This record gives sequence, C-alpha cells and structure tokens, in this order.
Amino acid sequence: MISFASFPSTSEAYGRYGNTRHHPDVEDDVHMDLDEDDFEENVQRLTVPGESITSSHAFMRGHGTYVDNDEVIASVAGTVERVNKLITVRAVRSRYNPEVGDLVVGRITEVQPRRWKVDANSRQDAVLMLSSVNLPGGVQRRKLESDELQMRTFFEEGDLLVAEVQAFFSDGAMSLHTRSLRYGKLRNGQLVTVPPILIRRLKSHFVSLPCGVDLILGLNGYIWVSKHVKQSEQEGEEGFDAEAVYSNKNDDIDEATRAAISRVSNIIKILAAHFVPLTDSVLLEAYEWAVEQESSVKDLLLDDVGENLVASLGSGLRQ
Amino acid sequence: MAVALVSKSERDYIKTSLQTASPLRADGRSLLDFRTVLLETGVAPLANGSARLNIGKVAREGGGGTDVLAAVKLEVEDVESGDGVDGGRVACSVTCSPSAYSHLSSNALDELQHDLTVILQQTIAHRSLHPSNLTIIPGRKAWLLNIDAVVLADSGNVVDALFMAARAALWDTKVPRTRPVEYRAPESSRATEKETQDSMDVDQGTSGFDTRDMARDAADFELPDYWDEGEVLHGRERWPICVTLNLLPPIHLLDATLTEEASIPLRLHLMFSFPPSTPPILQAIRLSGPGELDLAYVKSCITDGEKYARELFSALESKLREEDLRRNTKARDRFSSLR
Amino acid sequence: MSSRIEILNDGGYRSDGRKQYELRDITIDLTQQGTADGSAQLTHGLTQVLVTVFGPREAKMRSQTLHDRAVLNVEMSVAPFSTGERRKRSRADRRILEMAAMIASTFEPVVQTNLYPRSQIDIYVHVLQQDGSLLPACINATTLALVTAGVPLLDFVCAVTGGVHSTSPLLDLTTLEENDVPHMTVAVMPRTRKVTLVTMETRLHVERFRELFELACEAGQTIHREMKYAVKDRTVALVNAMDAGSKGGAADDHDRDVVMDDRI
Repeated sequence: MISFASFPSTSEAYGRYGNTRHHPDVEDDVHMDLDEDDFEENVQRLTVPGESITSSHAFMRGHGTYVDNDEVIASVAGTVERVNKLITVRAVRSRYNPEVGDLVVGRITEVQPRRWKVDANSRQDAVLMLSSVNLPGGVQRRKLESDELQMRTFFEEGDLLVAEVQAFFSDGAMSLHTRSLRYGKLRNGQLVTVPPILIRRLKSHFVSLPCGVDLILGLNGYIWVSKHVKQSEQEGEEGFDAEAVYSNKNDDIDEATRAAISRVSNIIKILAAHFVPLTDSVLLEAYEWAVEQESSVKDLLLDDVGENLVASLGSGLRQ
Repeated sequence: MAVALVSKSERDYIKTSLQTASPLRADGRSLLDFRTVLLETGVAPLANGSARLNIGKVAREGGGGTDVLAAVKLEVEDVESGDGVDGGRVACSVTCSPSAYSHLSSNALDELQHDLTVILQQTIAHRSLHPSNLTIIPGRKAWLLNIDAVVLADSGNVVDALFMAARAALWDTKVPRTRPVEYRAPESSRATEKETQDSMDVDQGTSGFDTRDMARDAADFELPDYWDEGEVLHGRERWPICVTLNLLPPIHLLDATLTEEASIPLRLHLMFSFPPSTPPILQAIRLSGPGELDLAYVKSCITDGEKYARELFSALESKLREEDLRRNTKARDRFSSLR
Repeated sequence: MSSRIEILNDGGYRSDGRKQYELRDITIDLTQQGTADGSAQLTHGLTQVLVTVFGPREAKMRSQTLHDRAVLNVEMSVAPFSTGERRKRSRADRRILEMAAMIASTFEPVVQTNLYPRSQIDIYVHVLQQDGSLLPACINATTLALVTAGVPLLDFVCAVTGGVHSTSPLLDLTTLEENDVPHMTVAVMPRTRKVTLVTMETRLHVERFRELFELACEAGQTIHREMKYAVKDRTVALVNAMDAGSKGGAADDHDRDVVMDDRI
C-alpha cells in the first residue's frame, strides 16, 4: 500500500551538479573560435545566456538572442539553430510559444463579456471570442444576445477544450478558435501535462492508438487522453450537434478502456520525465512494451520500470 | 487543501472510475495505494532535527509531488519569568510557499497556513504526547520545542505529508545534554583570593560554578561536551501520523491527488498514535468539506483508518530507522576518512 | 563587540580554514521542483536557498500589469529554522521585503521583460539555511532558476560578498564574519562586467572599498563559471535525452552530436 524511498543522491540525480573550483587562479577555459563549421549539419551547438554566438554583420538575430556591440548574443540556454542567415536559440525548457495554426489544449479560467480566458501554458491566458466558437443551431449562424447571456452553457470555468491558434493581439496574447468539428469541449478522459518542447509538430495531433485510446497532443504541452470515438460519431449525422459538443456528460467507458487510458497517461509521464519527445510511433512502441511486460499500470511509475521502458525504445526502430 | 480547477467531465470521469467494480485511479493506483514517498532526515544542519518529505515525485524531469520540509528547533525558556512552562512546551507552525499555491491570494495563503498550523498544533502539542525530557532545571528552565514545517509544493494529501514530515523531524530530534550548575561562594575565601590572582581559568575546578548534579537548587546549566548531539526525545515512538480518507460513500480512497481532491471534497483526517505494546490511540479527528455522514459509516471509517494508519506507521518507522542507520554510517565514514 | 574568534589568523587562515579569497563550495541542483517552470536549489557553504520561477504567465493582479513589459514579482520566505537562533518572520517583515525588492531591482535590467507585455514572472525565494552571503546566494539561485525556466536574460547575474578585516579583504563571508567586519554585496553581469547591484550597510574606507569592489567583481567571474557549468550540464543532458528519444538511439551514446562551447 505504501512504500518509502530516498531522495536521489547528489551524484545520481539528473541535472544535479556538484563540484568546486576555487577562486582565484583558476585556469581559464579553452577558447574556441567559432566559424561556419559550427553550423554544420548534425552538429548541435548549445549555448547559455550572455554567450556570444556570432557577429551580427553576417547573421540576423532571431528568438532567444539579442544584439550588443555587433555581436549576436544568446539570451536563453538551449540549442543554436540557423536558418539561412537567421540565428535563433531554442530554450531547452520554457513556456509555450504559440504560432498561428498551432493546435492547443486549454482550460477555461474565466468567463468575460463575449469572451473566455483560456490557460494554455503560455505567457498570458489565451482569448476565445464568442464569435470564434460554433454555436448551437448551425455552424454559420450569427451570434445573438441570448448567446452572450448563456456563455457558461458552452464553456465554464475549468472546462477543457481543444482549439487552434487563430491570431495574436498586439500585446502577444493569442486568440483561439474552435470552429471545426474536431475542436471544442473535451470529454471522456483525463489531462496530462508535459514540457511543450517535447511535443513536435506532427502531420496530425489527433492520434488514435489501437488500444481504444485517443490522444490530442496539444503543442502547448497539454495532452488529452480519452476513449476512442469513431470518426463518424464525432461528426454526427447532421454535421453539428450542439448538445453533444457542449455536453459535460461522459459516455459509458468500460474498465479495459479506463485501464488503457491510465496506462497511456503513465507512459506519457515517464517519457516526459526522461525528456523523450512524444510522437505517435514512440507512444505506440512504449505502449506495446508496457503491455508485453505485463506490468501493472501503477508499476510503470516506478523508477526502474521507467528506465527499462525508455531503454527499450529505439530497439524496435533500429531493426 | 488547494482546489484545482477541473471540468465537470473530468470530475465525472474520476468519480465513475472509482465506483466501478475494480476501481482504478488516474495513475493506475487502487483506492488504498499511496504514491511513492521520498524521505530524508537531517536535512537542516542548524536544526535539532529535520526531515524533507515528498509524496509522488516523478523521477528525473518529472517533478511534481507534495513537498514538505520540517525542522525542530529547541530554545531555552525561563519558567520563572512566565515565558516558559515547567516541563517544556511544544509549538508548531506551518508556512505555505506561494509556489505551492500560486493561484491563492496572500490572504488566502495566510488562512491556509493558519488552518494547517492549528491542525498540527492541536494534535502534536497535546499533553498526552509530551516528551518527558524537555526539562532543564525543574521550575526554572525548560526547552521550548518548535516544529516548523514549510510546504514547498502541493499535489494533494498535504495533511498526511505534514504529519509524516513532522514525525520524522521529531524522531530525528536530539535534545542537547545539560548539566545543572549552581553558583556558590568558594569554600575558602583565602584560597579564592590566591586563585584569582593566579588565573581566571574556569576549567581548573576552582571556579565558582559547581557542576555536580544538584537538580534542586541549580541556578543555571551548562552544555557539557559530549561525543553525540544529545539524546532523542522521550517517547518518540508515540508521535502521531495522519491518514486522510477521501470519502465518496460507500468507498474511500487514500493519498488523493489535487484533481481527486477537487472531485471529492469530503475528507476525514484521522490522527493515530501507536505507543509500543499498548493499543493505538486516536489522537485527533477532523472532517472537512461539505456533506454529512451517518455515524455507522464514520465508525467503519475509523476502524479502516486505524488499519491503514498502522501500515503507514510501520512503513514510516522502518524508513526512519533506515535513515538513522544511513546517517550513522555516513558520519562514521566521514570520520574515518578524516583520520 | 568583537567576537573572540579570530577572523584571520597569523597563518592567513579564516575561522573555517579558508584563505582570504577562497570561496566556499557551491552545489547546484536544477532538477524540476513541483510545478514550477524553472527552479534551482543552491547550496553555498552552509547557506541554502531554493528558488522557483513561474512564468511569464497571466498576471494575477490585473491592476498591476504593465502594458509594455512583464512585471517581476519577487516573494521571499525565510524558514524559521534557517538561522542559529530560531526566528519566525512573516512575509511582510521589513527586512524580507527589502531583500525581495533588492532582488527584483537586480533583475529588472537583466530580464528581457519587454518581450512579455502584461505578463508576470513570479520568483519565489525560499531561504532554507543561512550562514552568511545570503543575498548573493539568492541572486545566484534566481539567475539559475530563470535560466531553467527559459526566461530570456541578457546575461547571468553573479553575486558575491566581500569584507575587509583591518586591511585585508575577504571574500564570501560567513555569518560570523559578517557580524564582525564591514562588508558589501556585489552582483555583476560577467560578459560586459556591468554591475547590477552594490549594497553595503556598514562603513568602509573609500580606498578599501575600491580594492574590495574589484576583487568582488573578479570573484563574480569565478562564480559565473560554476553556474555556467551547471546550466550546460543540464542542457546537454536534456538535449541528449531528446536526441536519443527522437532518433531512436538508446541513451548510451552520450555527447554524440553535441558541441560544447566553453568560452568564457
């Protein structure tokens, strides 16, 4: 029922660092000159804030950099990326930086006049305008005053939704829309959060695993794990069924599916803890491994099981 | 304690999963499973006893978990002046970091802190648990035992975490050895004159301090040099622990996560003490959240709670003994490497 | 009142066995803590602080938002057991508010707040143990926590204390030394050698000040190296983990594709 363990020790822990060099008379580090070779393919360069990357004459500065004294200097810790003349530094861990067209999963934090505020793990809460959602009684209908008065019947505080980034406001806040049959309120499952960098842009962020589990991989690091819903059911016969779209009621979900949802959630947590980027193929492989091992769902969260799971990845891809 | 934002469908999903024939929780646990608890004692070298505890941390980059740091510090109090109490006293305080409750306003945070402090204080500072070795000089000086706990992160079940951390810190506490002394005019004044001219050295046995045991008329005390940090608190086996039953009649679950707490607001906190070779004692009981319960159900909860508490208690105790051993070995190794 | 313990003995050693310019051990832990976006636990000698950073995120107090940049909100809490003598300070304690304000003003010019209008960056500083050099430990840990949270900074901020015992300058003071000698805290940005904080509460001769100030700036560079190694260590580990995961390689081939740029 309960087990105790020790905190990881200083030497074992990941990202821990304990070492001392004393002041003064410490040798300076080896200087390395930087030239075009450093941007060779397959070679990733890492940098930290305040480190000069290159001259600003030859290159343009992008995100994660700034220019001072004709030098492009990093402002975050991460990998240096170059596209032609544009230098950017991608932070290894940060909040979500939205782009138009991104698919995100968010949670309503506030209902305001004609708009909802949505937490999407970004620098500010996103805005979902009443005019950016599908309203009951037809996709293209005009919004009415009565809609404004019953906004909570569509979304209320705490509700989860999947949406697309539509545009940005001048202060950098994003506006979302749910004007698609695949978007809208989320039901039949549970949320898992991971660092956004682990969600790569994929062809589709709606993933169906053969175990009867659907995944929505929000680019903001919020992942919705739910029971599989058939495509035709989702779209409905008349194209749009407001009752179903804004319903808070879950379908009947059998125990096997619930177990599968929990298993997938735990796999996501482990992969994220080991900083493995999540793609449909990785998730599938990990799921198959977990089923093969016949480990119980909760055991997945044990350290050594997690290590084995991550180590097992790739063995399949290599064959 | 903190209420996470959850949607109606999430709440429904959680509740329905719990009410199936073979209940399953979001992370695959069954109703009575705890998440892994990490514990380390002796984390604050400036305190007389300390412990850090984390429930549910995911390895490596996963983070999370309910993180509590607890430490015991002893202070000398003067009983005669009215500050202290003869026999010593125990005071608890809980601080909640805004990083654990970043959505709360500072007023709400203060309220929460106060609430948790009261729960801890009322249970731990109760007379029945009072350690007998907090007296320094009867009627004059006594130790004030401060337990300070800091909640660094909350991902559910913070009350259980607080009690476990407090128990671990109290277990770890060493009371410095004291020796009462009395100021007495030296027996021969002539000798004194001579001595004072010769030297002022206190250590030569000619000082005005008499350091023989004299519990009755002692005026003050001194801390003798001794090889260890002191003796453990008397009755340290008795310090209570808490099990929180999250109630969704007819079932209940242990060690709820934040989303589970948000979905199931009714909670019963049971604080048990397990003195060696006597029956367990229910030290405190507290019902929180809206709702009403019938008496028979509460009784059955207490019976069940005792069972869980005993399991938790023995697991914690063996971990604490393991920690004692680890730290003793560590100290010995360090000592031998120095030599 | 002077203490009975010699601050600097004839052999040139301090009470804890260090030389004049010797710094205490620094241990840095950048692993994820709770739900924070970035966190750092820094142990400097016996001083230990934990800093967690949340944000940039939606501002809690909408009235306090700025239309052109993010607000830096620093909140500090000192554990009652962190000092030799127990002392419980409330969050509204004047001394704590002052320290928090100093940390905020140190980072105002360093964090690129202009990139995040109307947002808020919360910095929560927890003091777990104190044995001198508290403010520098807080500043250094805050730098590291901001870096792990991916908040854009112009540079690291590296802080150190220095004091003068009669005429001999000392670096990285313990509580015992801070109680006895005039001392100051200096925070530098290592690349440009700009100073973002100088604070001194005791009197010091202007000649001595100059000497000590320069020494402290130099020591800041040493601390910078420690901090940079810690950040790079973690960055390499995470990037390698991501590569291994996405390319299907096992975790055993480390350092494969990563070049460390070790310039100072």
